[in-house]
Amino acid sequence: MSRRHIRNILLKEWVLLFTDLNSAFIITLLPLLIVGQAILYIWLAFRFAGESMLTAQVFQTALQKLVEAMPAVAQLPGEEQLLVLLLSQFNFVLLLIPTMIAMSVATFSIVDEKLSGSLEALLATPVKTWELLLGKALAGAIPAILMTWISGGVLLLVVSAVGWGDLSGFVVTARWFLTLFLLTPAVAILSFMLGVAGSSRAKDARSAQIVALLIIFPVFALIGVQITGIVWFTPSLILVLALAVGIAAFAMLRAAVRLFRRESIVVQWR
Amino acid sequence: MAIIETFDLSRNFGKTTAVEDVTLAVEAGEVLGFLGPNGAGKTTTIRMLAGMIAPTKGHAIVAGHRTDRDVEQLHEVVGMLTQTPGLYDRLSARRNLEYFASFYPSIESQSQVEKYLKLIGLWKRCNDKVGTFSKGMKQRLALARALVHEPKVLFLDEPTAGLDPEAAGEVRQLIRTLREEGRTIFLSTHNLNEAEMLCNRIAVIHTRLLALDTPEQLRRRFFRRQIIVQLEALDAEVMEVVKKLPFVQDVREEGNQLVLELADSEHNRPELVKAIVEAGGRVIGVSEKQYPLEEVYLRLIREENQNES
Repeated sequence: MSRRHIRNILLKEWVLLFTDLNSAFIITLLPLLIVGQAILYIWLAFRFAGESMLTAQVFQTALQKLVEAMPAVAQLPGEEQLLVLLLSQFNFVLLLIPTMIAMSVATFSIVDEKLSGSLEALLATPVKTWELLLGKALAGAIPAILMTWISGGVLLLVVSAVGWGDLSGFVVTARWFLTLFLLTPAVAILSFMLGVAGSSRAKDARSAQIVALLIIFPVFALIGVQITGIVWFTPSLILVLALAVGIAAFAMLRAAVRLFRRESIVVQWR
Repeated sequence: MAIIETFDLSRNFGKTTAVEDVTLAVEAGEVLGFLGPNGAGKTTTIRMLAGMIAPTKGHAIVAGHRTDRDVEQLHEVVGMLTQTPGLYDRLSARRNLEYFASFYPSIESQSQVEKYLKLIGLWKRCNDKVGTFSKGMKQRLALARALVHEPKVLFLDEPTAGLDPEAAGEVRQLIRTLREEGRTIFLSTHNLNEAEMLCNRIAVIHTRLLALDTPEQLRRRFFRRQIIVQLEALDAEVMEVVKKLPFVQDVREEGNQLVLELADSEHNRPELVKAIVEAGGRVIGVSEKQYPLEEVYLRLIREENQNES
């Protein structure tokens, strides 16, 4: 029964999502924009600031960590080592895709239904709160995950196209796959759970977006921590991180169910 | 047998009392009109009965389920039409109904959706997006949504509010059809004519339940039955004869009409007419004076306001 309810919510949400031009645009084009921008910044940094970056203490530390993790990188010339370091950040840059889609889409999910009055009608059916919230979160998270994977593929194609294809062997490693196929789904679900929970408590989508912002900062922190060499995320560390985020997503679902006040929604939104 | 029963049902919002000690019973197959001014607690009562909000005191049993405890089971057997249609504008009428029907495992949703789209007269437009519908069409569709799982009790919260006369008439006709099918309907409305047209009994609420009875009995609570005899011409002789009749308790002239209060309004009428005719009066018609329900309603509310002040 629950699976059927969640599936129904998913299918309805997808129809609404892809018949809304703004949402469809955000889901399909935002990921490509993020990937394009990241490549452009790396290209610009490498082209115009490569030498100064090589001598900067902060990158020296990071390069040292990179070589410790992947000794083969030591065989490469200094500039290519720097490029590998920069390209290695992409696994975390890709995490921005589900978080930003969640911020744009999930935050409207409950607020919109409150405003249109459909939520009260929905709450008069036997649907359970957790089914509703999970259905809505998955409806956004699944396309966001798929778009992240597609963006990962596009990224590798562009890397080859700009002539860095020889280095992709240093980027597409166990870390890459663990990030894409374990960490990304966990982050996506957590982001959407946060967005939906925020949406259920907020009076408008903007307030909900502030809640969803909470997940973007940690992603930026991950990139910052790795590129400055404070921590180098090895496959086992990424595995632990994915597990922790997965647990956080589950905890968030439980918290969202508790935060979802049916009475307040029914009474305050008319 | 009562399908809705409330026992001292009350609800506070902070320090404000929205509903206080409402005790009533609604029989299966009955249409109960729920009248009251804005803020009288109509919607709050409906929400408590439909298990959407919990009472702060007292309880209610609807279709055998405690509305504050067996919420999930309750939602399977009640239908609710909220004040706003609350439909998805970018989905078709059919898809809207299918979506809501899909939450009820006991029904065959496809056939139910088809049945109710036909009933509300939207079958031909079933694939059109709801965003293209008029307000009246949306309200009919929302009514179909409340019915699609064949609920035992239907709660309608001001179903014709904000509709133009034609659309309101269409919705009323639908409610009349449902009444003829023997559905139990709890109808909250501001429209007194609508209540009288559609309901078996009427409850008047102003935080507390002020009255609950048939429209006729509510009238009798405030107004005695009066018989009107329309004459071709009213002369003194007829008046004298009528005044002397033992069962005439009160009589007055209104143009060519006699307005009378009789001891037994039903059984004294033939004797009254006979006496008038024998006195030379030419009777055009005999009818009963109808007081609008509105007057009853206003008196009840006025009395309550006076009690409060």
